[in-house]
Amino acid sequence: MKKIEIGHGSGGRLTRDLIEKLFLKYLDSNELKPLEDAAYLRFENPNIAITTDSYVVRPLFFPGGDIGKLAVCGAVNDIAVSGAIPKYLSLSFIIEEGFLIKHLEDVLKSIKMTSEAAGVKIVTGDTKVVERNKCDGLYINTTAVGEIVTPLVIENISDGDAVIVTGTLGDHGTAVAIARNEFDIDASVESDCAALSGLLTPLFDIDGLKWMRDPTRGGVATVLVEVAEKTSLGIEIYEDKIPVRDDVRFISDMLGYDPLYLANEGKAVVITSHEAADEILNKLRLHSLGKNAALIGRITTKHKGVRLRTKIGGERVLDMLEDDMLPRIC
Amino acid sequence: MNKSENLIKHIHSLVPKDRKVKIMNVCGSHEHTIAFSGMRSLMPQNLELIPGPGCPVCVCPESDIINAIKLSKRDDVILVTYGDMLRVPTQQGSIRAEGKNFRMITSPFEAIAIAKNHSDKKIIFFSIGFETTTAPTAAILEMGIPDNLYILSSHRLTPAIMEILVKDADIGIDGFIAPGHVSAIVGSNAWNVFSEKYGIPTVVAGFEAENLLLGIVDILRQIKEGIAETTNVYSNVVRPEGNTQAQRIMHKYFEVSNVNWRGIGYIPDSGLELKSEYSARDARKVFELKEVKEEKIPGCICGEVILGKAYPSKCKLFKKACTPQSPTGPCMVSQEGSCNIWYKTN
Repeated sequence: MKKIEIGHGSGGRLTRDLIEKLFLKYLDSNELKPLEDAAYLRFENPNIAITTDSYVVRPLFFPGGDIGKLAVCGAVNDIAVSGAIPKYLSLSFIIEEGFLIKHLEDVLKSIKMTSEAAGVKIVTGDTKVVERNKCDGLYINTTAVGEIVTPLVIENISDGDAVIVTGTLGDHGTAVAIARNEFDIDASVESDCAALSGLLTPLFDIDGLKWMRDPTRGGVATVLVEVAEKTSLGIEIYEDKIPVRDDVRFISDMLGYDPLYLANEGKAVVITSHEAADEILNKLRLHSLGKNAALIGRITTKHKGVRLRTKIGGERVLDMLEDDMLPRIC
Repeated sequence: MNKSENLIKHIHSLVPKDRKVKIMNVCGSHEHTIAFSGMRSLMPQNLELIPGPGCPVCVCPESDIINAIKLSKRDDVILVTYGDMLRVPTQQGSIRAEGKNFRMITSPFEAIAIAKNHSDKKIIFFSIGFETTTAPTAAILEMGIPDNLYILSSHRLTPAIMEILVKDADIGIDGFIAPGHVSAIVGSNAWNVFSEKYGIPTVVAGFEAENLLLGIVDILRQIKEGIAETTNVYSNVVRPEGNTQAQRIMHKYFEVSNVNWRGIGYIPDSGLELKSEYSARDARKVFELKEVKEEKIPGCICGEVILGKAYPSKCKLFKKACTPQSPTGPCMVSQEGSCNIWYKTN
C-alpha cells in the first residue's frame, strides 16, 4: 500500500485497513478508538465554544509546518482567542486518488504531535477519496470544541484600549509564498504556525482582557478594520511599533506585500484595557511564542476606521483589501 | 526630533507663503513611498505632491496589448511578459482573460530559458517599460538570443513625457522629483534640460521617505532662491553620467520613434523600437502587426491621472466600478499605478 486508491474511501475493507493501520497508529484517544459513528464527550463546564474550518493550503508541506499542523493549530487558535480552553477536535480528510501514503503518514505524525502539545484530543473523523485531479492532494476539515473560561465579545472594546500583537507579523504568508517557488527567490522563510492555547490561556483571568482574534487570511489590518467597523470606533496603529522579522520585511518589500495584510498562523491580536496592557504584555513575553509581543496601537474616538501613524509621522488609512494577495494560504 | 521631523519642519519654513507649489514625481515607486508614508498629510496646505506618468503598464498603448493577445492565440507562439501587463484591461479584455499561450516572467533572462525549452515555438517577449526595463532587454540582445525569440518593444522614454508635462500650462509644475531607478541608467545629467531650458528645479531622489523629503527640501530651497538646478540627493546610486555601458547597448539595439502613450496620444521621439538591422528579432515586423485604434474607456480618467491633472479620487469609477481586483482602467492594475496606490492608502 503506497498510494491512496479510490477504494480507501469506499467505507469498505480498504477504508477499515487504512483507519486501523494508519490513522489509529497516530490518533488513539479513548473517544476515537471504538470507531462508532459519534464520539461521547464529557465536559466539566456546560459552556462550550465550537468552531470549524477547512484547510486547502498549497503546498501541503512548507517550512515550519504542513497542512496537518495547520489544521490543528487553526482550530485550537480559534477556540483559544475566544476565551475558551480547547478540548476536542474532529478531523475530516478529503484525499486525492494517488496521494502518497507516506505523505499522509507525515501529516498524521504532525497532527499527533501538535494536538498532544496543545492538549486537545482527536475524537472523531472521516475519510473521503476523490478521483485524480479532483482535489489538490489533500484537504482537511476540523471542528474544535472548548470550554469557555471568559467570553470575549467585541462589545467589550472601548475608547483608550490598547491593541497588542503577540509577535512578528506576516511570517506564514511569506513562508507559503516562497514555498510555492513562483518567485525567483532563493530563500526559505519559516511559518509561525503554532497552537496558541498555552500562550493565551494564562491571560483569561486578567481583568481588562477584552477581545482576541487570530489574524490569519487578510492579516492584522483586516482584523482591525473589522473591529473598527463593528464597534464604530477608530483605531490608531503606530508603524514603528509593528514587529516584523527582517527576512519577512525584505521579501515582502521585494514582492510588494504589506506584512500587515499577510497571513499569520501563530499570532493573536489582543485588545485590552489601557490599565491591563502592561500586565498582559509581560505575561505574553514570558512565553516563547510571545517574546516579540508589542503594543501597536490604541482604540480612539477621534476618528472612525483604522489609521496608520507612519514612521515619518504621517497618516494613512488602512482598509480591507479586495484582492486576495495570496489565495490558498491555509 | 528625528531626521524626518526636521526635514518636514524645514519644508514648512521654506514653502512660499503666497502661492501654491506643485511638485511632481514621475516614478511609481516614489508615489508608493509618498502614499504609504502618509507624506501628503505632513505637507503644508499649499504644497501639492502630484503623481505623474511613473507607471509603465499604464502608458502602454492598447494596440500593443491587443496585438499581444492576438499573438498569444497562435498555436506556434508563447507570449511572455511582466506580471502586471497580463492584467491590463483593453476593449478586447486583458492578456490573462483573453490570451491563450502566455507566461509571466520577472526578468528578460527567463524569456531566453523559455525559448530554449520550447524550440518548436516562437517566443515573443512583450518588453515594456521605461529605461530601467529597456536596459535588461538590450542586455539579452547583446548576449545573443535564441533564433525563436522575438521582441515586441513597447518601451517609453521618461524625459520625453516630462517635456510634454512642462509645456502644459494646465498642470503648472514647479519642481520635478526625478526617478531614482531611471536616473541610475540615464544619469542625473539627463534632467539638466528641465532646469536649464525650462527653469524647473529638478532633484534626483531615492525611495526612502527621508530621501524624498530631502529632495522636496532642495526643490523648495531653489524656489526660494529663485534658481533652477538639477541636483541629486541619491548620489550613492546615481552618477551624473549614469550607466554608460547600459546606455551604449540600448543605443546599439534601439532607436527613438514616435509612439502612442495610452490616454495621452502620440509624442514624437518618446519611444524605442528595435533598429532596422535587428528586424529579424522585431515581433512587430516579423508578425506584421497592425495598429489597432485606441478606444476610450467610458468614465476612466487614467489619461488625466497620468498627466497629473487629476487625482485618482476624482474619477467616478474609483473604488466603485474600478478596483484592484477588477480594474477598469490601466492605472488600477499595477502597484506602480496611482489609482492602485490611492486605493490602498486613501
